[in-house]
Amino acid sequence: MQQKKGFLDLLTQNLSSMRLTVLLFLTLAVCSIMGTLLPQGTSLEELQGHYGPSLSWWIDTVGLNDLYRTGWFRTLLLLLCLNLIICTTQRLPKTLKLLQHRDEQISPEKLEKFNCHTEITTPRPLDAARTQLTEVISEAFAPLQPLQGSDAFCAVAERGRWSRLMVYIIHFSVLVILLGALLGSLFGFKGFMNLSEGEASDEVLLTMGKDPVMLPFQVRCDDFNVSFYDNGAPKEYRSDLTILDKGQEVLKQSIRVNDPLSYQGVTFYQASYGSMLKQVEIEIQDRDAGTAYKLTLPYREVVSIPGTHDEIEVMQYQENFSNFGQAAAIVLLREGEQPSGSWILVDMPEFHGNRIQNYRIKVLNIEKGHYTGLQVKRDPGVWFVYIGFIVMLMGIGMTFYTSHRKLWVWASPSKSGKNTTTVLIAGKTNKNSLAFEQEFNHLCARLQSDLNPK
Amino acid sequence: MDSSFLLSITTFAYLLCTLLYLSGVVFLYQPLLISGSVVGALTLVVQTAGLLLRWRESYQLGYGHAPLSNLYESLVFAAWAIILIYLILELRTRQRVLGVFPALFAFLAMAYASFSTQVDSKIQPLVPALKSNWLIAHVVTCFLGYAAFAISCGISILYLLRKAQGGNPHPRGILGLLPEARQLDQFNYQMIVFGFLWLSLGIITGSIWANSAWGTYWSWDPKETWSLITWLVYAALLHSRTMQGWRGSRVAWLSVIGFSCVLFTYFGVNFLLSGLHSYATK
Repeated sequence: MQQKKGFLDLLTQNLSSMRLTVLLFLTLAVCSIMGTLLPQGTSLEELQGHYGPSLSWWIDTVGLNDLYRTGWFRTLLLLLCLNLIICTTQRLPKTLKLLQHRDEQISPEKLEKFNCHTEITTPRPLDAARTQLTEVISEAFAPLQPLQGSDAFCAVAERGRWSRLMVYIIHFSVLVILLGALLGSLFGFKGFMNLSEGEASDEVLLTMGKDPVMLPFQVRCDDFNVSFYDNGAPKEYRSDLTILDKGQEVLKQSIRVNDPLSYQGVTFYQASYGSMLKQVEIEIQDRDAGTAYKLTLPYREVVSIPGTHDEIEVMQYQENFSNFGQAAAIVLLREGEQPSGSWILVDMPEFHGNRIQNYRIKVLNIEKGHYTGLQVKRDPGVWFVYIGFIVMLMGIGMTFYTSHRKLWVWASPSKSGKNTTTVLIAGKTNKNSLAFEQEFNHLCARLQSDLNPK
Repeated sequence: MDSSFLLSITTFAYLLCTLLYLSGVVFLYQPLLISGSVVGALTLVVQTAGLLLRWRESYQLGYGHAPLSNLYESLVFAAWAIILIYLILELRTRQRVLGVFPALFAFLAMAYASFSTQVDSKIQPLVPALKSNWLIAHVVTCFLGYAAFAISCGISILYLLRKAQGGNPHPRGILGLLPEARQLDQFNYQMIVFGFLWLSLGIITGSIWANSAWGTYWSWDPKETWSLITWLVYAALLHSRTMQGWRGSRVAWLSVIGFSCVLFTYFGVNFLLSGLHSYATK
């Protein structure tokens, strides 16, 4: 039991040390570097092509190919949080105590130990010196508050006490940001959907390969447009979207890169686009019957061939089929038979293989449309992250650009008599000592001349 | 007169500025340092005019965007920010010796932008991903941070040179005009704090921008990750300085390491990691 307590103590002691903080910062930095050297998200198979089996096995096991999601990297982040929380619980009470602490006693011996201290002798009596000191310091620095309980005049003036608390605000903001990230990964999702023009869907495929998410509403892509600059660089990708809630059009909005659409906490981003087959016009010749028809085949829709019980469907399309150019895969469905099909070459209409059973097929026209690639996201944690960002910036600004500065003043009739007064002033700051020294010297020079009129 | 003319004047003027500061330090001659400051300030004015003119030209070409959109424009802005921040520092501290490195860095940035074949100086239209108001906020904040770190790195090098002379409070020779070690340490710290604040802002604006463009505020892409690494190095520096009382040489070394992280974030990620990264996207 004794030993266990010792271990716990040792653990808390280590977790609360600033050395661990710095070590964690640098460890996180070095580990993050490793993650940037290898492309992230590559599979074991892809790795093996580049690094050979045994090295790939190591990379995959340690998780270098998906480093930021590995358990050990997250453990480092968790350790940083623990370190931060324990540091705060240990130091915050001390800081608060320090801020509440009132100096009850000021002695000349104590003040002389300060790095910043100065002694001024004035020909004025103590009362006059006190009034003058209070006036000048209150005006130039901060209200001078006298302390009781001593024959001499003792007083303190301080500024920016709250500055000592600002560092806790930065630390708090780090926790808020990480909490936001956690909430996002627990209760949010990230995925994508490809919609061809005119298509509506409620199915989102997830990036991290789980079951698709079904939205409680549908999104329809009414139109997709891409425009180019004169030099050929892309200028704008735009999708006109409509949200359908229970079949009703509830929202129409165009989205562009940098200009997403949000509905019920789900946001749609313009991410990619592509072209796809819309429909194929063919001439179909029945060589047995000697008839010929023109048919329009919408992509993946079954169309019946007039005067027969046969049906026909375009299943696939390729821009360049085995170097023969465009080709459409067309399938014939006949009752009581297995479906039979063939790749029909579009650019070589006379090719002898352009047929299925007794039909000869010639593609007259190919109509293509666009599909738009939408990134779809729900992230309930993002507001925590944003609030964390704002708090962090304010915290950094106030931690580094304010300081707790304090002056101690002691004044008493000089030992030499002659109705003169000896004044001792000392000062201290928790930050930026060089600037404070200047301010302190400036103030002392002013007091020196004010207390010694010519 | 067009912006490229003004910006090429800028390049040579920063070279002159560097030479003036350097010879002032070498010959221990204040008037040379003063003329370094004057040339620096005048060049800054010319460069500002060049940047504004370039901005206008992009509207005349029908593109209409701030001159902060590619490597060339960012290098020019980096030089501008370094000199601007340095001159403010100089005005506040009256230490002209510190100007050698900032002027050199500004010249190198301009020279690289103007003469490298890798860098295209033409005004290009914005690709859709960059069309956002966050562009200005993100680039400006990041580069103010980078510029402050560049100056801090320069001060750190001076500090380390001074320390290499031993404890002599009044070193002779070319280090004769340097301020006291304690002051250098203080200036260094001020620049690091300033840079840290802007780098934080830069990462945050970038992250908010990424969220509005792609739906993720953090995706561990190499650029993001390296900016976080830089941030962690400077955070480690600030913590060890405050809590463990690290001063002087150790802080100076960490600042040099921090600035090399900045350089890697800026150039290395583009030129080295992209090569490694390209096969994954093939």
